[in-house]
Amino acid sequence: MVKKAHLVTGKGGVGKSLISGVLAHYLSLQNQQIILTELTEQSFFKDFLNLPEINYKPSPWLPHISVCQWSPEDCLKEYALHLIKIESLYKLFFENPLSKSLIQVAPGLYELAILGKITSSPRHHGPKMIGDQLVIDSYSTGHFLSLLRAPHAMAEAIKFGPMGEQSRGIDKWLRNPDFTEVHLVTLAEELPVTETIELALQLQSEFGIQSKIYLNKLLQLTPADLEKIPPAASDIFYPVAEQEKLFAHQLQKTGLPVFQLPLVTSTEVLPIIRSLSTALTQQKQHEIRA
Amino acid sequence: MINKLPQTKTIICIGTGGVGKTTLAASMAVGWAQQGLKVLVLTIDPSQRLAQTLGIRADGELHRVQLDLPTPSNQGELWSCVINHKKAFETFIKTAAQKSKHANTTTGTSEAELEKLLNNRLYQQLSGKLSGSQEFTSLITLYQHVSSEKFDLVILDTPPSQHTWNFLKAPEKIALLFNEGVTQWFRDISSHQVGFLQKVMNIGATQVLKILETLTGSEFMKELSAFFKAIQNWQSPLETYVMNCHRLLVSPQTEFILVTTLDPSRLNEAYKLSREIKTQGYQLTTVVINRVPNWLAVKFSTDSQRLNELTSYYRDLEKNLQKRLTQFKTQLKVYKCFDLRQNSEDVRSLQKNFDQLQLVE
Repeated sequence: MVKKAHLVTGKGGVGKSLISGVLAHYLSLQNQQIILTELTEQSFFKDFLNLPEINYKPSPWLPHISVCQWSPEDCLKEYALHLIKIESLYKLFFENPLSKSLIQVAPGLYELAILGKITSSPRHHGPKMIGDQLVIDSYSTGHFLSLLRAPHAMAEAIKFGPMGEQSRGIDKWLRNPDFTEVHLVTLAEELPVTETIELALQLQSEFGIQSKIYLNKLLQLTPADLEKIPPAASDIFYPVAEQEKLFAHQLQKTGLPVFQLPLVTSTEVLPIIRSLSTALTQQKQHEIRA
Repeated sequence: MINKLPQTKTIICIGTGGVGKTTLAASMAVGWAQQGLKVLVLTIDPSQRLAQTLGIRADGELHRVQLDLPTPSNQGELWSCVINHKKAFETFIKTAAQKSKHANTTTGTSEAELEKLLNNRLYQQLSGKLSGSQEFTSLITLYQHVSSEKFDLVILDTPPSQHTWNFLKAPEKIALLFNEGVTQWFRDISSHQVGFLQKVMNIGATQVLKILETLTGSEFMKELSAFFKAIQNWQSPLETYVMNCHRLLVSPQTEFILVTTLDPSRLNEAYKLSREIKTQGYQLTTVVINRVPNWLAVKFSTDSQRLNELTSYYRDLEKNLQKRLTQFKTQLKVYKCFDLRQNSEDVRSLQKNFDQLQLVE
């Protein structure tokens, strides 16, 4: 039974998928069974994590971590099958070429199906999931709010019937801090930092969600390193070091926890994940002590 | 500097998020305007700095950008526009309404009907409130400006999306929505003509509607039905419009430029994308490897471990690129663009960015 869902978001290109992997790795070290999932139609994890295959059903990746891909379509299928129950009727619906366009015009339906799947354990709805925590490589910041808003919007639009009922249930669990955690990934650059702060504030005011922030790919040059920069390269490294300091400070002003993760100088994904997971463990312990 | 095909009238920059598409699109616009062309650059989400440079707000209006460069008299013009999705969709709907008026003067769409449609919840969702149809609105905005023939060249910076396919498939998806069959199903639901409805529809369609109602509830179905009733007269002009958008994408006068970075997983994605895109018949000519650290060329030695780590890391990435190049270069021109870490994005620095683009040998 899934007791916690971690939603990972950030502006495109900041390293959401990597940090999702890092988070899954970090959580798995705490004796927890983790399901790591992505919400795309075309898998990113398959190539990125070098998996032989990726499916709707989780398949093992590292010890205590399994990986899966939840395309909106698959989630909706599962939801529909659960509701309709009769296989032939369901086939008639989903194998009809026109149905696809109908689903596309029914706004919020995909979002609802995905969030329905994510919250299915605490709502005791749908097939059982084997795992303690979910890590979801979610949509980028632009689409993230519309994802989270879908259940409430749907509940407003449809006050009665099974769908209205379920939408309210999903919305409730999204706002429950014991179940839902949101992780915002950013780089030390203007646009992603601005988007992160805006989203963090919005999540706080609209959903009461206290997000966690991850500042990714930092060069993390120490004052000693900076002193050793040869003059030929000083134009390059000084501004970067300053930006990193400036944006870390800006993010910390939100009062939310900010984890600072270095650019790991490896070209292989697994060593990067392991190294960042260690960095995260140290900073989380520090945060708990503080 | 980067070269385009002589016949090219439209350039579409594609690539995953965070690779610097927007700045590159703006740099190319400045570069080519400087060479004497009248260029329009359409962007989605410019940084504050870039917006200041181009003097633009997200209002969907065209803005003339002063080039202000010490150059000969034959300089072109630079125009810019940030796509306003809501407005673009509204324009699209209104154009369709007007066209249907011309086609059929007796049942043309009245202002009141149009107003009703614009207030329809489904329409509001469609125009970007929930699921977002940025891909489609970018495309219709592009089509609108290319077909106006006011510019020698229109450059589009595509919206950040999970996959470039979302953009390329936009016409197809919208065409499905206005599909004759679907529209017909819904016309009569709200008018309670059950007998008629049953007559025209086969059993399968009835079942499908029933299931959809189970999934969404009857209120939603009413909205859906009202929406399709409202657009029934516009179907054919809308279909033509969508068709034209698709034609623009596959036109020989349209060139795709794929932007990526040195990051190995990005390069891998870019390679896969370039192959898919070619197979589908879009004219992809160029790959730009963006944000290449320019300090790699600087020879220095230091006893800082971190600096040495970083340097050898980026050198490894460059080696990795060399391996990839043989794959890319069979059919494409590959350019690299150095990360100048410029603190401003004024016209001069955009021009500098354009000038330093170099063909990878």
